[in-house]
Amino acid sequence: MTDPTKRDRADSLRPRRILTGIPGLDRILDGGLLAGGVYMVQGPPGGGKTILANQVCFFQAANGGRAVYVTLLAESHARMFAHLRRMAFFAEDAIPEKMYYIGGYSALQTGGLDALVALLRREIQKRSATFVVIDGLVSAQESASTDRMFKQFVHELQSLADLVGCTVLLLTNAERASGFYPEHTMVDGVLHLTDEVSELRPLRHIRVLKLRGSAPLRGLHSVQISDRGLEVRPRLETVVPDEPPNNAAAATAPKVGFGVPELDSMLHGGLRAESVTMLLGSSGSGKTLLSVQFLCAGLERQERVVYFGFFEPPDVILAKCKRVGMHGLSEGVTNGQAHLVWHRPVEGVIDELGESLLETVRRVQPHRLVIDGMEGFERAADFPERLSHIYSAIGQELARHRITTIYTTELRALFGSEIEVPIEGLSAATQNIILLRHVEHRARLLRVLAILKIRDGNYDRRIREFNITDAGIQLLDTFAADTHIVSGGGVSPLPRLTETQE
Amino acid sequence: MPVSTRKSILIVDDEFGLAEMLRDMLRDDGFGVSLAINGRLALEILHERHVDLVITDLMMPVMDGIELAEAVRKDSRLAHVPIVLMTSLPFRVPERTGLYDAVIGKPFTPELLLDAINRCFELSARAEQGSNTSGEQSSHG
Repeated sequence: MTDPTKRDRADSLRPRRILTGIPGLDRILDGGLLAGGVYMVQGPPGGGKTILANQVCFFQAANGGRAVYVTLLAESHARMFAHLRRMAFFAEDAIPEKMYYIGGYSALQTGGLDALVALLRREIQKRSATFVVIDGLVSAQESASTDRMFKQFVHELQSLADLVGCTVLLLTNAERASGFYPEHTMVDGVLHLTDEVSELRPLRHIRVLKLRGSAPLRGLHSVQISDRGLEVRPRLETVVPDEPPNNAAAATAPKVGFGVPELDSMLHGGLRAESVTMLLGSSGSGKTLLSVQFLCAGLERQERVVYFGFFEPPDVILAKCKRVGMHGLSEGVTNGQAHLVWHRPVEGVIDELGESLLETVRRVQPHRLVIDGMEGFERAADFPERLSHIYSAIGQELARHRITTIYTTELRALFGSEIEVPIEGLSAATQNIILLRHVEHRARLLRVLAILKIRDGNYDRRIREFNITDAGIQLLDTFAADTHIVSGGGVSPLPRLTETQE
Repeated sequence: MPVSTRKSILIVDDEFGLAEMLRDMLRDDGFGVSLAINGRLALEILHERHVDLVITDLMMPVMDGIELAEAVRKDSRLAHVPIVLMTSLPFRVPERTGLYDAVIGKPFTPELLLDAINRCFELSARAEQGSNTSGEQSSHG
C-alpha cells in the first residue's frame, strides 16, 4: 500500500492542470493543459485553430481566468468576431475585461521578436493574464533570420509563461519542407488539426503529437465544428474500458422472450439475458417491428428499454407500431420506461454516434436495447477498418451494463441463395443470429424467419412464415415440407396449387 | 465633403494593416493623417504635433483607447481634441460622458467614418465658437 504522506507529497508536486473546456480534448490531453505550459496548435487554414483557441480563452474567462489573444495575422479582429459571434461559447460581455484582443504584427514589424516578447510581457502583466494565444506564429517565424533566433523566441516565451504561470497556445499553419520542426522540441505539447476530404466527405481530426508529463490518447480523434464550437470525440475504442465479458455468467443467464409465443418456443424460452442478437434481414422483412416487439415484451415486465435508430424517426416508428396494434412502445415513452434515440443516417462521426449510444445506456441503464440499422455506424465511419474495433468496444460496454441487445442489419439482396453478414467485424460480438427475409412461395411473396445461431443453447431449426397482422406478429408453419426456402428457391414437393384451390 | 482639406487626423490601431488602409482613404479625402500602434505612441505624437482629431481602436497593447482618451482629456493642451472610438464591440464601450465624441462599430463604411469625422469637427467648431463668444461676453462684461 502506498504511504499516504508520500502520496500527498506526490499529489502536491503534480503540476496544476487547466481545462480547455472542450471535454473530448481534455480527455485526450489526459486532463487538460499544464498551467504555465507552452503548446503549439498546428493545422491548415480553416482547420479550426482559431476557433479552438478562442473557445479555450472564453472558457478560461468564464472560470476566473483572464485571456489575451494576440494576432500576428492579416485577419482583423472585427472579421474574427463576425465569425465567432455565432458560436455558443462567444460571450461578448467577457471582452475586454477578461478577454482581450490585441494585434502584435506592428510590434513584430517594427521591433522584431524582441519587441513582440516585450509586448507579451507587458500585456500579461497588465491584464493579469492566465492564458495567452499567439495566432499566426508563422509571422514570428518569418521575422526570425535563423532557426536559432526563432528557438530563442520560443525559449523566452517559455520562461515568461513559467514565471507567471500563464499558459500559452501558439497557433501556426507552418509546414516545413523538411518535415522537421525544431520548435517542437521546445514546447510542452503539439496538437495537430487536419481537415481532409475522403470520398467527398469532409473529415476533421486532431492528433496529439507530443505532450510532456502526460499520457495522451494517441492517434486521430474526430473533430466537429458547428455553432456549438469545436467538439472533439476521442476514438470510441480508446475510451471504453477494456474488460473481457463474463462468458460463464452469460451462459447461465435467465431467458428473456419476445412476447411472440411461437418464437419464444423456438428459442426454448427466449434469448439469454445480456446477450447480443443480430436480426439480419432484407429491407421490409419486419426487422424493426420484431425488434420493437422485443422491447414491448420488456416493457410489459416493467423493464427499461432503449430504441436507438438511424433510418426511421421516432414518430414514424410509433405510427408503424400503432398500425399493427403494438401500443406498448408509445405507452413506454409516455411513462418514461422507453427511450427513443434517433440519428439521421447522413454524414456524421461514428464516435459521436457511439458516444450517444453509450451515454444513453449509462444514463437510462436499460434492460433491453435495440440498435435499429447498424449500417448507420458504417456510413459514419471515417476509416472502415475501425468498425470491428468499435463494435467490439460497444459490445464490451453493453455487456458491462448487462443489457440484452438486439441489433438489426440489412441483407443487401432481397432474394438470392447467398446470405452474407454485411458488416465486417460484427459476428464476433454477436451470440445469436435470427434471419428474416422475403421468399417467393407458390407465386406469393412471404416473409420467413429462421434462427441461424444461438450460442450455448438449443433452438428450433424450423423455417417459419413471419406474419405481421393487425393483431401483431405470428409465426406459421407454411413451409412444413418445402426445401430451399431461406436460400430463395422455395421448392415444394407438393403439386403447385392454384389460387382457387388455395 | 470634408469640412476642411487640411485637417489632421491621428489614427491609433494595433492592427496596422487596417490603420494603413484608413490612412490612405482619409488622405484621398484630403486629410493629413498620422498613425500610432498604441495609446502611448499616440500621446507622444499628440505632444509633438498638432492633431485635429483622434480615431482610436478600443483594445490595444500598452495603452488602450479608453486610457488614451482619459490621458487626452486630463491634458489641458489636448483636452479639446475630438476622439472617435472605433471597435468591433460597440456595445462593450463604457459610457463615459465627455471622454469620447463618437463610437463607430467595425466593420464600417467609409461614408460612416467620414460622417462621424465631420460631425465631430462641426461639434468642435461649435464648441470653439461658443467658448469664443462667452470669452468675448465675459471680456465685455
